[in-house]
Amino acid sequence: MKDYKILGKSVARIDTPLKATGDALFTADIKLPRMLVGKVLHSPHAHAIIKNIDISKAEKLPGVRAVVTREDSFDVRWGVFKYTQDHQLIAVDKVRFVGEEVAAVAAEDEETAIKALDLIEVEYEILPAVFEADEAMADGAPLIHEDHPNNVNIHVNIDVGDVEKGFADSDYVREDRFSSSGETYGMLEPYTVIADYKAAGALEIFVPTASPHTKAKALSNLLKIPLNKVIVRRSNVGGALGGRSDIFPLDFITATLSRKAKRPVKASYTREESMTCTRQVHDMIVDVKTGVSKTGEILAQDIKVIMGGGGYSSTGPIAASVPFLVWEETYRLPNVRLNSYRVYTNKPIRGMYRCHGRAFLGGLGMQLDMIAHELGIDPVAIRLKNALQAGEFQATGSKIFGCGLSEAIKNAAEKSKWAKKRGKMAPGKGIGMGANGMMCGFPMGIRGGSSAIIKFNEDGYPTILTGVVDNGQGNYHAMVQICAEVLGLNIPDIHLVAADTEVTTLDMGAYSQAAVFVGGNAVKNAAEDARQQIFEIAAKILDCNADELAIEEGKIFRKNDKNSAIGLHKVIRKGLIDNTPVIGRGSYMPEVSRTREWVSNPKGQQAGTFSFGANVVEVDVDMDTGEVSVTKATGFHDCGFPINLKAVEGQYEGSIASGGLGSSLMEEHLWKNGRMLNPDFLEYKMPLAVDMPEISANVVITDDPKGPFGAKEAGLFGSMNSFQAIGNAVFDATGVWVKEFPITPDKVLKALAEKEKTVK
Amino acid sequence: MSTKKFEVRLNINGELEKIAVSANETLREVLRERLELTGTKAACDDGSCGACTVLINGRPARSCLTLAVEAEGEKITTIEGLAQDNQLHPVQQAFVDHHAIQCGFCSPGMILTGLAAIREQQAELSRNEIREAISGNQCRCTGYAKIVDAIQAASKMKSEE
Ligand code: FES
Ligand code: FES
Repeated sequence: MKDYKILGKSVARIDTPLKATGDALFTADIKLPRMLVGKVLHSPHAHAIIKNIDISKAEKLPGVRAVVTREDSFDVRWGVFKYTQDHQLIAVDKVRFVGEEVAAVAAEDEETAIKALDLIEVEYEILPAVFEADEAMADGAPLIHEDHPNNVNIHVNIDVGDVEKGFADSDYVREDRFSSSGETYGMLEPYTVIADYKAAGALEIFVPTASPHTKAKALSNLLKIPLNKVIVRRSNVGGALGGRSDIFPLDFITATLSRKAKRPVKASYTREESMTCTRQVHDMIVDVKTGVSKTGEILAQDIKVIMGGGGYSSTGPIAASVPFLVWEETYRLPNVRLNSYRVYTNKPIRGMYRCHGRAFLGGLGMQLDMIAHELGIDPVAIRLKNALQAGEFQATGSKIFGCGLSEAIKNAAEKSKWAKKRGKMAPGKGIGMGANGMMCGFPMGIRGGSSAIIKFNEDGYPTILTGVVDNGQGNYHAMVQICAEVLGLNIPDIHLVAADTEVTTLDMGAYSQAAVFVGGNAVKNAAEDARQQIFEIAAKILDCNADELAIEEGKIFRKNDKNSAIGLHKVIRKGLIDNTPVIGRGSYMPEVSRTREWVSNPKGQQAGTFSFGANVVEVDVDMDTGEVSVTKATGFHDCGFPINLKAVEGQYEGSIASGGLGSSLMEEHLWKNGRMLNPDFLEYKMPLAVDMPEISANVVITDDPKGPFGAKEAGLFGSMNSFQAIGNAVFDATGVWVKEFPITPDKVLKALAEKEKTVK
Repeated sequence: MSTKKFEVRLNINGELEKIAVSANETLREVLRERLELTGTKAACDDGSCGACTVLINGRPARSCLTLAVEAEGEKITTIEGLAQDNQLHPVQQAFVDHHAIQCGFCSPGMILTGLAAIREQQAELSRNEIREAISGNQCRCTGYAKIVDAIQAASKMKSEE
């Protein structure tokens, strides 16, 4: 590992002392003068026409300051893409799921607001509803959006090579179906919005968001105010896991309440509202047919996916593509066909979770093990045989740059003592592997890049301005570390202003694993630009050329003469007086295809670079109860270069819990007629400390040629491939494949009973 | 809802607060809304997450399940009461040093729960004892590994005192 002064060390993060003392402010902790309380009225029906809304009684209740309904929508529909604009952020003609936002109230206190909701009279005409994706696709199913036949929201079709020929050439072909129900994001912070619509026409909004600039754009469209008047303020984000990137009705509603009441409004969702009315994870059915050679080389794959999307598009095209993209980032697929359907249903809206594609990636990774088993090949060997290498191209055309996939697979096998354990453990105990690649950044057009500014005060200390967001991963600290390394400063010397649309420049936020890769490159470029300006000014003082200078510990000196040192503050002051103030400016746009489009043209470079990881888990299966516990997890992660090693480890450890064993073994939403039955933490079980195994988190260093100081995405592989690792370990322990996630005790027992029958 | 108010005296972080509360007002509401001690977090409505944990007479308690009137006269410690003279408490410092804090929403509750376990320990806590001790506290970010590391380090320090 390269030796840097600041980078690559496990230093304590700048943001955590305030979080340890309780001083860090989250949105719900903020109070503005004269702030009102907002409350939302939700639809009790899964599918219904709104015939009439009567707010006259609510408006008359003393203490009520504003009521918002469809009358206040500007008839604008939001969608992440032009072709997915299907969501009016307050229901207008009809409601499409239980919980959809129909009206809202701002009042002096919560009690009054709740009372006012009771006084709003909504007349519905109930329509037939459909809840499961496959049923929604069937002919004759009720249409949720009239202009979408068979309720197909998005269909992504990818067809590479000659799939039929690939099957004809195969020595072994098998078909399997995998499925998964949807889970919750479960970030601890309930969703809260504070909006303050100023008389001058500017909107200030505090919100836990992973993408403030995207939020500003949506609000600008929806409220018809220019983008520079939408001020999205960073507050600390109490976990995101993919679920804080989108635009939510509560954003629009709170802003509208504030505009009408002419006062700031805070609206906090309860746990139940947070779980039902923000996002859940897609449920999924995956049919996959795979053909391989005798030696286990994948020759053809035909994959059909049906995803339950809920009432609206959300990030639809991305959601329908990502599981496949992650798969093609991992293995060589010469002939492959994907038909992925995201289908509207009368359930709440689904988005992308930390481990999006549970049935897909779990299923395909388990099928690889099934094939290995049939052909008598070791699961590690079949992965190594098909694993992509640096310099190769993925099926849809993305080039791989740095790639430590094979090394990660080998190291994870070795460290977990795979060869001694696989197939050799006591009954009920097993070991399994998963592996995957991960895109750093999505093709997001103008939103795919980042820029940063570094300004200096006359005392020589800099402030970074960046649109990067930290949801807890340590992104802020990484930005400061990168800046400190380039400028020869120490971490406490640097101040950071991030994710505030009033001052920071366009950035997609903590989305698509891009923060350190894209935002980090921008900050590095800005710091290098500042350093160059500093050297040019200092060269005049030191009477030499700029390229003869170095900077360390806040001093600039000639490389060959440390005694020549002058303080950075002197250089900054000279810059000011000479009218050449030092302002570092840097940007980064990942080199992705400009013509690639999620649905219409899924071809060409899709991300600036890719990270990789392999994960080995050991399980203990109680053969009487069917209960599976994970006893050990060993991960190796090609994160390029770990800017902050402990932060990288922490991402992997976290993804073994949420997404990882949580999603594999215990988590799922339960439903009845479109109504969520477990919208709280009592009924919806998430992993607790006692559920966790010992975790061995390790890195593979590849110094990615595209990443800032070689760095790229960190840690997501733990959740992205835990399903296959755990599913495969369950097979090793029991001899049965459970193809429906989560792998709950009843499913294990059922599979064991079926196996017993066939043996007899 | 009854509008009758009860005067309660709460000893919070060593300071006596006299405050008029309704019978149904929780300690969490009083701390967060009335006293603006927002370090105590609210993440659920049914006592299932542990984010609102405070210490009542040294023992972890869920401030969302505790009525303010029940806390009358008790000694309450919130996360704001730990650091002294701008110095983090050793358990807070261990959380920072061991990267046990990611988003930080669970951290106040975790730190107080960890601290209570350490105060009661007979000997250095094992990793499994720590896991048991914090299993009423949810964390969605860390996978608990570094939280266990931090509490273990602080426990070791305490046992060597
Ligand atoms: S807020 Fe008290 S336990 Fe969740
Ligand atoms: S650090 Fe985010 S919930 Fe624990």
